[in-house]
Formats: sequence, C-alpha cells, structure tokens
Amino acid sequence: MNRVVVTGVGAVSSAGIGADLIWQACLGGISGVKEFDFQNIVAQKVKNVAPIAPDVLAAVANPREERFQDLIAQMARMAAREAVAQAGLGPDDFGSKCGVIIGSGFGGARTLDVNYLKFAHDNSARYDPMAIPKIMNNASTSWVAMEFGATGPAICISTACASGAQSIGLAMQLLRAGTIERCLTGGAEATLVDGTYRAWETMRVMTPDLCRPFSKDRNGMVLGEGAGVLVLETLESAQARGAEILAEMIGYGTTCDAGDLLRPAPEGAAGAMSQALADAGIAPDEIGYVNAHGTGTVANDINEIEALRRVFGAELDDISVSSTKPIHGHTLGAAGALEMIVTIAALRAQMAPPTINFNEIDPLVNIDPVSGAARPLNTRACLSNSLAFGGINASLIVAKADF
Amino acid sequence: MKDDMDSESKLSQELLALVAREGMVEPENLVMEAKLADLDIISADFIMILMAIEEEYGAYIPVDNELADLETVGDLLAVATKKIIEHQQEKPA
Repeated sequence: MNRVVVTGVGAVSSAGIGADLIWQACLGGISGVKEFDFQNIVAQKVKNVAPIAPDVLAAVANPREERFQDLIAQMARMAAREAVAQAGLGPDDFGSKCGVIIGSGFGGARTLDVNYLKFAHDNSARYDPMAIPKIMNNASTSWVAMEFGATGPAICISTACASGAQSIGLAMQLLRAGTIERCLTGGAEATLVDGTYRAWETMRVMTPDLCRPFSKDRNGMVLGEGAGVLVLETLESAQARGAEILAEMIGYGTTCDAGDLLRPAPEGAAGAMSQALADAGIAPDEIGYVNAHGTGTVANDINEIEALRRVFGAELDDISVSSTKPIHGHTLGAAGALEMIVTIAALRAQMAPPTINFNEIDPLVNIDPVSGAARPLNTRACLSNSLAFGGINASLIVAKADF
Repeated sequence: MKDDMDSESKLSQELLALVAREGMVEPENLVMEAKLADLDIISADFIMILMAIEEEYGAYIPVDNELADLETVGDLLAVATKKIIEHQQEKPA
C-alpha cells in the first residue's frame, strides 16, 4: 500500500487568497467575521458572517470567466493554482495518473439565487443559459481538471460539512491503492447569498452575536465561504520528482450516525476518530492537536467532546483542542479542506491556533480548549474532524514528514 | 404591575396555541408539566416553533444552552416569554 504525502496547499478564505493568510489569521486569532447586509432579506436577524476577502472579489471580476463559472469554481481554481505551484507540478505531471476530487455542499449558490430571483420577478427576463453548468456541484472539480489537464478520476463528494474531509479521505484511498499517483483534492463553498443565507437563518443554528465554540455562553455558528485544495501524492511519486514534502496523510475514518438528520450522536463521531487512529496505526496519545469541527452550536460541541472523551479518555486533557471556525467561519463543504490546511500548518509550526471568543468552561461540554492565544505543541500527529448534517462524520490524521 | 401580569398571561396563552399549532400537538395534551419528548416534539418541530415566534413577535431565538436544557412545555414557555419580553424592551414598538 502506497504512503500518501502532501506536497502543496492552496486556500481562498475570509483572510484572502493564500494558504499562509488563513494560517496567519488562525495563529494570530484575527477573525474575518464582520457585519454584512443581505439586500433581499427583510429584517435580517443574524448580521455576522466571514465573507471572502475583497482581494478575492477583485481577482474573480472577469466577465469572460463569470459567463462560464460561478464564484465557487473560480475560488477552487485559485486554490488549485496555488497548491500546484507549491508542489512544483509541471504539464507532464497530470494526465490519467492525476485525479481531481473537490467537494461542495451547495454548488453554485450565487447563480441559483440570482436566477431564481430574476425568474420570480419577471419570468420573461433572460435566464442565464449557463445556469445549470454553473450551479452543478461538480463544476469546481471539472474546471480544475480542465485547467491542468488532469484526465484521471474526477469526483465531487457532496456530504454537507463533511464534503471536504471525505474528498481528501477518498483521494488517500485511491492513492494508497495505486489507482492514481497524485490528486488535487479539497472542497469549495460560496453560499453567502441572500436566499441560501436566509435558509440558514431560519434553521436557527447561527449566532446573533459571536461564535464561541465550547464556551458556556455559545449560541451558534458563523458562516464563511472559500476553497481549499491540497496536492496529495504517493510518496514514491513525490520522491521521484524531488518534491518538498509538507506532511504525510496517515489516517482516515468515516461513519454515518444513521440516526437523526440534524441531531448528532457521539457514537458516530467517535467511530470516525477510532477508525482514523486504527488506519494510521497510532495510539490516541500520539495525537497532540485536534482541530475540532467545533461549530459553536450547543448540540455539536456537546456531541463532539463526548465523542473525543470516548476515544481519548482522560488523555484528552493533555491534548490541545481548538476550533478555528470563529476566525474563518464555517465554510461548510470547504471546511474539511481549509481546516486540514490549517492543521498541517499547525503541525509544521508546532503551534496550536486558539479558539477565539471562548469565555468560560461549559460543564455540559467539559473541555478547556486552546483559547486566548496560540499554544506551543510538541507532537508528531494531528487530527481534524468534520461532522455533517445527515449524520456524516469524517476524521483525518496528518503526521510530520519523516523521510 | 397588574397590567404586566395580564399581558404575560395573555402571551402565555398565545404561545400555548402557537406551540400546539407548530408542534402538531393536540391542545388538550399541552399542559405545563408535559415533557416535550413525550409529546413527540423533535428537532424539526422545535425549529418550526422558533420560526413562528420570530414571525409573530420579531424575536430571533438561537438554540443556546437555555434551550438545550428544556424538558417541559412550561420550561419552553418560560424561555420564550423571557426572550420575547427582552426583544420588546430592546426595540419598543
């Protein structure tokens, strides 16, 4: 079975265009959350979101591109370009041995929103003839494949907030099996538009003030958007190219609660983490940092920490746990990818980013996360969780490159 | 003071009707001591109840610890009443 390594990362987020920008924001606890008014929402209750940075909007303002691509595909391509450049991949490194697996929960939400609004107001108005290929969930995967000439398996996983993590997990499995030699994988999401945002607001899982994961006074999540893409390769392929290896992907686990559609169950999340540890062949005490799903909703945080306790036992108190969602927002289908990029940076810098806005330990959750400021780490391996609506859980473990 | 008591009691009656309608529960079963779980009020029903409160009273109630701890109809009414009154004080009509 092939070993799988990371040779490039790319990110677009509220921190701007660049993987280092989201890492620096997380390390410094600098949040991209701001008040945002959606023009078509009457009496908007939840004001705070983490929208993509203005430099992203400037970079995508291209009428020719906009004719064919929703913002989501544009962001996925930007993230892929950064990852490919860092990995040092050339024109001969793609072809049938390179796959593309980029997940998304919603697909082209902007295009859908604009066209439905237009249709409702005036059904004789010109509907965007490119609406379908802009909205389809696999558009990001296909545009990235086209840009680089990657003719191997092109897949889009759409499992809400687990899309990004399951995409990376599936890429690991295909690389281990030898189906492909390298893969551009991750997730993308761009749902900060009126209609979709209002739908989130009515679900009542968003905080009307600040997102405070694990804190006793938490009352919901904050939405973000962006894209994260990683270049994963077999160790053999990376070494043959003489590529710099950033980290090794050593464990993946995924489960389904098969219970309630919305209310999570700790057995499912614990199962995903246990599977990932067994897959990695390491003991729980070898994990030094957990980048939690940590949405800041009452239900997620109780569930996730209960699951962590079941897997790590009393040792959980010796592990640094944090949620970076109050910094970059919950980016849904991109979350697993962006948070893995943050986790890789944390592993390489040996620094755990803080859970900003945390005030007070909640006895119902019973965890004292890394809060206030970043904390030094001394570890070989880190874990990242993604726990989605639909009861879908995915855990990934990344380790230092020791070659 | 008496006016306040009257308006709270009126609000309470309105909320009972709202919970019965949105939670799809027979009004006669909706007594203060009844456990929400026994009435089969699950996560989706809860969201509908909170949505109706937002529509009728303008108060956005996120799902926080106060809500997570609710067990009975009386608990739900107490929290909803408190949040609606807080909202009305923040934004006088």
